[in-house]
Amino acid sequence: MISAYYFGAIALILIGLYAVLVKKNLLKILVGLSIMETGVNLLLISIGYVSGKSAPILSEGITPSQAVDPIPQALVLTAIVIGVATTAMALSVAIILYEKYGTLNIEEIRRLRG
Amino acid sequence: MNQVASLLIALPLISAFFVPVLKQINKSLIKPYLVLITLIQTGIAGWVFKEVYTTGKPIIIYAGGWRPPIGINLYIGHFAALFVLIIAVVSFIMAIFSLKAVTTEPIDKYAMLFLLLMLGATGMIATGDIFNLFVFMEITAITAYALTAYNKTGEAAEASMKYIVLGGIGSSFFLVGVALLYGATGTLNMAQLAELANSINPIVAQVGLALIIFGLAVEAELFPLNAWAPDAYQAAPHPITAMFSAFVVKAGIYALARLLYLLQKASGWSSILRLLVIMATLTVVFAELSALRQKDVKRMIAYSSIGQVGLIALAFSLGTQAGVDAGVFHMVNHAIVKTLLFLAIGYVGIAMGGTTMENFEGLGKKMPLTALAITVAGAATVGVPLFNVFWSKLRIILATLQAGFFWAAVLVLFASVVEAVYYFRLIHRMWFMGGGIRIKEGVIAGILVILAAIIILIGVDPAPVWNIVVKAGSDIFNVANYVKNVPLVGVGS
Repeated sequence: MISAYYFGAIALILIGLYAVLVKKNLLKILVGLSIMETGVNLLLISIGYVSGKSAPILSEGITPSQAVDPIPQALVLTAIVIGVATTAMALSVAIILYEKYGTLNIEEIRRLRG
Repeated sequence: MNQVASLLIALPLISAFFVPVLKQINKSLIKPYLVLITLIQTGIAGWVFKEVYTTGKPIIIYAGGWRPPIGINLYIGHFAALFVLIIAVVSFIMAIFSLKAVTTEPIDKYAMLFLLLMLGATGMIATGDIFNLFVFMEITAITAYALTAYNKTGEAAEASMKYIVLGGIGSSFFLVGVALLYGATGTLNMAQLAELANSINPIVAQVGLALIIFGLAVEAELFPLNAWAPDAYQAAPHPITAMFSAFVVKAGIYALARLLYLLQKASGWSSILRLLVIMATLTVVFAELSALRQKDVKRMIAYSSIGQVGLIALAFSLGTQAGVDAGVFHMVNHAIVKTLLFLAIGYVGIAMGGTTMENFEGLGKKMPLTALAITVAGAATVGVPLFNVFWSKLRIILATLQAGFFWAAVLVLFASVVEAVYYFRLIHRMWFMGGGIRIKEGVIAGILVILAAIIILIGVDPAPVWNIVVKAGSDIFNVANYVKNVPLVGVGS
């Protein structure tokens, strides 16, 4: 039985990919990238999810056999941090682009050709 | 004693964070500091190289003392030892070149990013864990985005943005691939993945591997995900361009080859190989044809670099021992040749104020040593006999024919002819057009001449390097050995 979360995750990835490939505004493209990353994170989490079990934090009443797989959660924490760094980097480059070109339309940002 | 090898990761990381401290003391110390750190890194890498090749055993480091697959391990085998050394040496040369080449502020940020780029590439090659590979790949990528935009011109920002968007898509694809493989095997350790490869559902294995290949193809500059590369090469500061070509791409190609061969027991593996052969051949053809009509020499060499990387990818995607050996040999040769070319072109760019074709007219009279080095490297890239690339190109084409990809070999040979046209055009322009008075050439010219001498030395007698390369190649190809070398502890479920 395929979990519904997989469909959600794949849908998010595809929505993000669509925005990246189709949109002309740079900020929308970056938002698309962010959505894509969120989708990937959701996919990772849902791979480690076991229906009906609790968060993998060792506390009273929770033994290892009652928790979901902790590794994907650790991975997602890392992936979120990386995603934030990439987004910050991209936005700061977008600021420079706007200063130099006066537009965020990717069809007008085309000085490098050949 | 083997733990010294973990300094390969620790040293650049910690020294990168000491740069702001140094800035407070004296700003002019930053560039010499960069040279010093890369020199120490070269020393450590040289020691690791000697250790691995004399004992014949890989150095394996457990992060935090946890044994794999619970903990993350570094695997410095024959291949990693060789390439970590190449990374360190190239970084050292580029740190020296940066003394002269990089004058844009803020120099402290440049030094930090420089060290982190070196760290990321080293980590990608040394790691034994697939998610750790992702983290190092992102470190490399994010520093590369920042360094591409470092010159703060509109063009640099544009190139960087292209790189960010493609790199973002690539890293998402890669992570989906990792998620699929993790879901199928329950492990992220590369050795254990190789052990469990034949138990993966064929569809999951194929889709996962294809996604990983597409993700890494951005870093490895394979068609159709390499549109960022010429722009980034052209816009980045000169030393960084050389680093991109010499080892950032190589780290991507290596990761691709490593994961590909780790999963060779997975069913449907050969169809992934065929996909990669097509991608690699298209990379070679498109890059060489685009290089033909470039007016800017730096951009032209960038396209040539992409073409050569496509050739390496072709060699790796054959799935034979001969192909992998030839690919590793070409990686070594390409690293030397392209370091020389980008160093020389950057040097000319600084001395002449630009890197367009016109700037290279009369270079033979103005800067004879530099022009001589470019000529040697150009002839080598084309594959003239008695230069190093001739041997690796020959071996790649022979391996391609052996593996039965006749059409790929024909296309690659055709691309070589195209390559000859634009390299000889450049050489002709340097020696027989224009004129001028001689300019004094400094330390950089000395480095260039040494690199040119190495090219000719390997070309005349390829046997010593070939012996090293065969060991490195079997490190990638012989997965059974790789699995045996990583002591996996059993984990109860």
